[in-house]
Amino acid sequence: MSIRHGLLALLERGPRYGSQLRTEFESRTGSTWPLNVGQVYTTLSRLERDGLVEQDGEDEAGHALYTITHAGRTELRVWFERPVDRTSPARDELAIKLAMAVGAPGVDIRDVIQSQRRHTVKAMQDYTRLKAQALTALESGAERERDDVAWLLVLEQLIFQTEAEARWLDHCEARLIRLSATAQQPGAVVASPAAPRRVPEPGGAASLPGGVRPGGLPPGGVTGPRRPAPPHRRR
Amino acid sequence: MSSSSRSPQQPVLQLQQLTRVHGSGATEVHALRGIDLDVFPGELVAVMGPSGSGKSTLLTIAGGLDVPSSGRVIVENTDITTADRKTLAALRRRSIGYVFQDYNLIPALTAAENIALPRELDGTSARKARREAITALEEMSLGHLADRFPDEMSGGQQQRVAIARALVGDRRLVLADEPTGALDSETGESVLALLRARCDGGAAGVLVTHEPRFAAWADRVVFLRDGAVVDQTVRSDADSLLTGRTAER
Amino acid sequence: MNNWFSSWRAAVRIARRDAWRYKGRSFLVLAMIALPILGVSAADLTLRTSELSTGEQLTRSLGAADARIVDPDYGGVPILQHPVEENSMPVGDYENKPWPKGRTDVSASFPPGSTALTDSSGAGKVRTAHGILQTEIRELKAADPMARGIMALQDGRFPEKADEVAATTHFLASSGLGIGSTVAARGLDREYRIVGSYELPDDLKADQLNALPGAFLDPLGKALEAAGMPGAGRSTTHLLALPRSADAEGFTWNMVKAANAKGVMVISRAVVLDPPADSDVPLFQQEGWGAYEDSAAAQAAALAAAGTVVGLAMLEICLLAGPAFAVGARRSRRQLGLVGANGGDRRHIRAIVLAGGLVIGVAAAVVGTVLGLLLAFALQPVLEDYMGKRFGAFDVRPLELIGIGLLAVLTGLLAAVVPAVTASRQTVLASLTGRRGVRRSSRVLPVVGLVAVLLGAVIALYGSVYSDRFIIVAGGSALAELGVVAMTPALVGLFGRTGRWLPLSPRLALRDAVRNRGRTAPAVAAVLAAVAGTVAVATYQASDDAQQRAAYEARLPHGAVSVMVGEGGGRDVPAVRDAVQRNLPVDVRADVDRIVVGKASCGMYDDNKGCGRHEVVIPVANRCPLWVYTPDGSDPADKYTKAERRKLAQDWRCSETPSMPSTESGLVVADAGLLKVLAIQDPAAEKALAEGKVVSFSRPMVDAGGKLGIRLITDPAKADEAVAKGQEAPGRVTSFDAYQVAPGTESYGVAGIVPPATAKAAGITTVPFGAYFSTDRMPSTEQRQKLDDELSKTGAGAELHVEEGFVSETSIVLLSLTVFAGLITIGAAGIATGLAQADAEADLKTLAAVGAPPRVRRTLSGFQCGVVAVMGVLLGSAAGVLPAIGLRLTERRQQMNWYEQALDLGGMMDMPHVPIIIPWGTLAALLVAVPLGAALLAALVTRSRGAVARRAAT
Repeated sequence: MSIRHGLLALLERGPRYGSQLRTEFESRTGSTWPLNVGQVYTTLSRLERDGLVEQDGEDEAGHALYTITHAGRTELRVWFERPVDRTSPARDELAIKLAMAVGAPGVDIRDVIQSQRRHTVKAMQDYTRLKAQALTALESGAERERDDVAWLLVLEQLIFQTEAEARWLDHCEARLIRLSATAQQPGAVVASPAAPRRVPEPGGAASLPGGVRPGGLPPGGVTGPRRPAPPHRRR
Repeated sequence: MSSSSRSPQQPVLQLQQLTRVHGSGATEVHALRGIDLDVFPGELVAVMGPSGSGKSTLLTIAGGLDVPSSGRVIVENTDITTADRKTLAALRRRSIGYVFQDYNLIPALTAAENIALPRELDGTSARKARREAITALEEMSLGHLADRFPDEMSGGQQQRVAIARALVGDRRLVLADEPTGALDSETGESVLALLRARCDGGAAGVLVTHEPRFAAWADRVVFLRDGAVVDQTVRSDADSLLTGRTAER
Repeated sequence: MNNWFSSWRAAVRIARRDAWRYKGRSFLVLAMIALPILGVSAADLTLRTSELSTGEQLTRSLGAADARIVDPDYGGVPILQHPVEENSMPVGDYENKPWPKGRTDVSASFPPGSTALTDSSGAGKVRTAHGILQTEIRELKAADPMARGIMALQDGRFPEKADEVAATTHFLASSGLGIGSTVAARGLDREYRIVGSYELPDDLKADQLNALPGAFLDPLGKALEAAGMPGAGRSTTHLLALPRSADAEGFTWNMVKAANAKGVMVISRAVVLDPPADSDVPLFQQEGWGAYEDSAAAQAAALAAAGTVVGLAMLEICLLAGPAFAVGARRSRRQLGLVGANGGDRRHIRAIVLAGGLVIGVAAAVVGTVLGLLLAFALQPVLEDYMGKRFGAFDVRPLELIGIGLLAVLTGLLAAVVPAVTASRQTVLASLTGRRGVRRSSRVLPVVGLVAVLLGAVIALYGSVYSDRFIIVAGGSALAELGVVAMTPALVGLFGRTGRWLPLSPRLALRDAVRNRGRTAPAVAAVLAAVAGTVAVATYQASDDAQQRAAYEARLPHGAVSVMVGEGGGRDVPAVRDAVQRNLPVDVRADVDRIVVGKASCGMYDDNKGCGRHEVVIPVANRCPLWVYTPDGSDPADKYTKAERRKLAQDWRCSETPSMPSTESGLVVADAGLLKVLAIQDPAAEKALAEGKVVSFSRPMVDAGGKLGIRLITDPAKADEAVAKGQEAPGRVTSFDAYQVAPGTESYGVAGIVPPATAKAAGITTVPFGAYFSTDRMPSTEQRQKLDDELSKTGAGAELHVEEGFVSETSIVLLSLTVFAGLITIGAAGIATGLAQADAEADLKTLAAVGAPPRVRRTLSGFQCGVVAVMGVLLGSAAGVLPAIGLRLTERRQQMNWYEQALDLGGMMDMPHVPIIIPWGTLAALLVAVPLGAALLAALVTRSRGAVARRAAT
């Protein structure tokens, strides 16, 4: 996903000005993607350059309004229909870290995995709590339903991705245990370094330090007007 | 190992230095090695771990279905490791509710009767037990299921009725062993949401699962490996979410 | 209390729904329990309904009268009478003299102002559409209100004129006559018109004609007497109605006693309804009266026997139904585990399984009782006809029915006890996880069983060796058998060791049976109990049969036929003889007559006026010293020692006394043809008959001079008195030359033959008596039936005997027992197989998965069934033969004791022959055919392909 397409999607619903776009974007994505107003305007100008949006007057308060062009709509349609590109694996710090931890003297890789797992599950707990609140909100009132649903889906995407990471960690641990068991047998080949070589599925791993995905949440995320920000986790 | 500092109440379930050894001699298997765990009212604790880590043994011992080799299990201030069979059964009627992976309900009884069963076994009059059961069902918006037999309900409905049964009367402790195992993701979620809601309403719950996604509904996740607790997450205060502060040990 | 009730209610609810869910199994158990209940409740209802209340009984015998006055025929001497039964004796000591005899005037005992109705009855031979019918003729004014209830009018009306009669419905049916027809009695040329039909509620099969008093019996009697025929044999009683007054208490006991003083017996409604205390009944104060009542001990024994039968039947049902509950509990293990997880303790688990028994038991009780009610109601007319009695009002005794129903409930509960305990012993965890561990069977039970077996064997052994009390042997055997039942699980375990070398299917079946003793043992025990009972009875019966065969005494040579008519006059004898000759394949016919003293119309042992009797004079030298008359009334045998008595018993004077089965003296009047029929080949005897000599088959009858004396006694009463005093009876003695047949000749009860000419020459009256026939071949059943039919139409009351040799009556019993045991075996084995299959579903799937052909499933279930049957039958046969042998040994001892005692007392008895016969045929059928049949049946009904995998949980 890109901010370009996110803004295009917002503009499709009607003319917007810059900071309005930023607010709506955050509201939709549950502030998991905090945007800088400057970034918004940079993106808008690039869109304008490519002929996907155009400036269309000002509102009463003097904000410049942007509208989507025909080419923009086509681009948006194509984007929606195109699957997310998975060809280039994301560089994942965790995967790299585990790979490095194997065989490193003085490092118990199971502890590394466990501490990572704790963080992952903790993140899931937090997401789940938010999700529970979202569900409650959905059930109680339908005022901003559309945004609520979007927020819910984003949360669930996060949850499932975190789960995938947790499962991968489980798998790593099981694999390591099996290999170390083999290694203890006399004459067996020491094969432990093999484990971390396995590259995680692209996009299947949530990175630990800040972002949930590459280019995601920076430290000390911006709090949204209504929703709590996702918890900031320290390494 | 209780680190839940925000809970001034007495824990509903206390496991102290719990060990369990299956078999003896060469075939000796240590299913549990010195487990400590407190579960407080309003708290849902998930127990995770690979197969054979002792999750289910922990749960059966906590519910008095199995006896520990050493250590103590205290449920609502009663030490059940020294209790006789009758007391244990009575405790299961009055204090502990179980939810299993599947086939939780007695096929010969309707939903309401299933829920009323522990109360009736305990000697409550049939009418009163039924009234309580219906109330419990209605609290969970399952009132329409009252007179259905288990084979007339979906798996999710059965599990939800089972949770209702686990908490009918004065019971405040739910022990759930893979309650979502036989359900699809969405239905499983709704069952956990219900469990979560019951805990938020003041019950204490222990949930054994190997699905992180479901474990994430818990306030606290305890990691078990080779019969010992290796780690646990701690619930962050709700405020910390808003302020962005962390709650980490 | 409330607690208990509430948890039981939950248990019952679960059990009820489960019973409904598994209808097939529930129905099976229900039928097993309900069937006996149906039978017993129907029997109880029928019994209670057929048992009349005292009031109903009185209505049938007295009508509306207050009393029936009976002349006891003691000539008017004061009597003592039973208050309820028609039973009386004259006052005074009649130990050594005949009771008084003679009529008395009963009317003297009628209370003033009472009205009487005579009720006379006699017999006559009535011509019917088919022939002659012996009919009771009853003169009673049946239309009188006093007689209401004695005869139930069915159609038409009662006679109102002298030439009218009413007939019982049975008479009309058997005579082929109807209302409007006329009837006439033989010997009386008067015709009576039938104007109505009625029935006697107590005797639906009676052939009876009802006429007005004096209209039938008197004319008939006079006519018969005039023709020299035996009369109508009239007896008269009076129905009495007391004057109606406000304080009428009916015919009180005091009034009865007053009537007794006048020699009259009274059956009084008031007394019967409210009998006096025993102390008020002088008859009961008489010595020896109490002997007529059942002794308490006999009652207790009967009660014990009934209790044992009921108990054994319940045990059998429990053993059969138990496995069904066991499989129910096993199938719902997970469910029981859930109850445990929800706080049900052992008590609750037990309650749920027990409630299964309770539910089925209650259902069986209700179903059985209701069906029993319907059955009793539906069968009532049939049974009334069969028993020849109208029942009273339909009599439902709720208490008894509830008691019977409780038996069903108890049976259901008992059947569920063991499965309940087993289920409750399982830990909740094992129930939930469904682990199938081999449960270690109880060690206590086999030990208890062994102790019971040993104790029972010792008791039985003691009983059969040191005592001759059956009850000890039977009790010991029963105890031992129960012990074997208790040991069944252990014994089944022993069988498992034999399995190592068997091929796959039987090995699997045997292992499975042994590993799952919980379900195998009850089924084996059920088979065991049934087979043991059958084998015991069969062995006993076979032995008894052999004994009876040995003891059988032929009454005639094989295939020979005899027919006798003992009636006076012998008028019908020729017709009877002809009928036999016509219908049977007769070779030789030998007519026999009998000697009659007095009028020709006198019957045998007839004590009517003008009738006497005859006897053979045994010469004093030939009399058995053990039986001679002693003046002081002591036993003559007392004079001898035991050894002397034994010796005397073998003496010909004592051992060859004439038998008298056919005539008063054993003598018959016949010619040499009789010798041929009796298969006596003695030319000398034939010659003797031809020469007019009497042929004697009994040595003591003939004196040293070769003479045989026949005494003709014309006054039996005087003769009795004389004999009582030890004197010779008065009477003319005629001596005949006699020929004594060689000792040891079988004469089939004929003591001697008098040639007709000789009898005539001696002036002895003879009348036709009957005939002996030899036949070409054994008469067929059809021929016999035809003959019986024809004989009955002569109205002569002929006694026919066809010598067919020993006919065993027990073979049908043996057969039905074998079939019964076979059914039980197949049923029990089938149940066990069904359970095994339910259990082994997983194993079968595994088998199929590793590539076993589909028929393995079939053969496996066949072997599973066979294994149970074989084990049960083997154990049962062993357990059954032994008590039977014990019983027989006891019997042998007992008989030998009697024999020895009899010999000591100088009696004559054959050496008792008490063989022990093992019924090999029955045993073979049980041992081979039944298990084979059970196995084949199970294999046949098993589907080769397993059902689609179901969830094991349900």
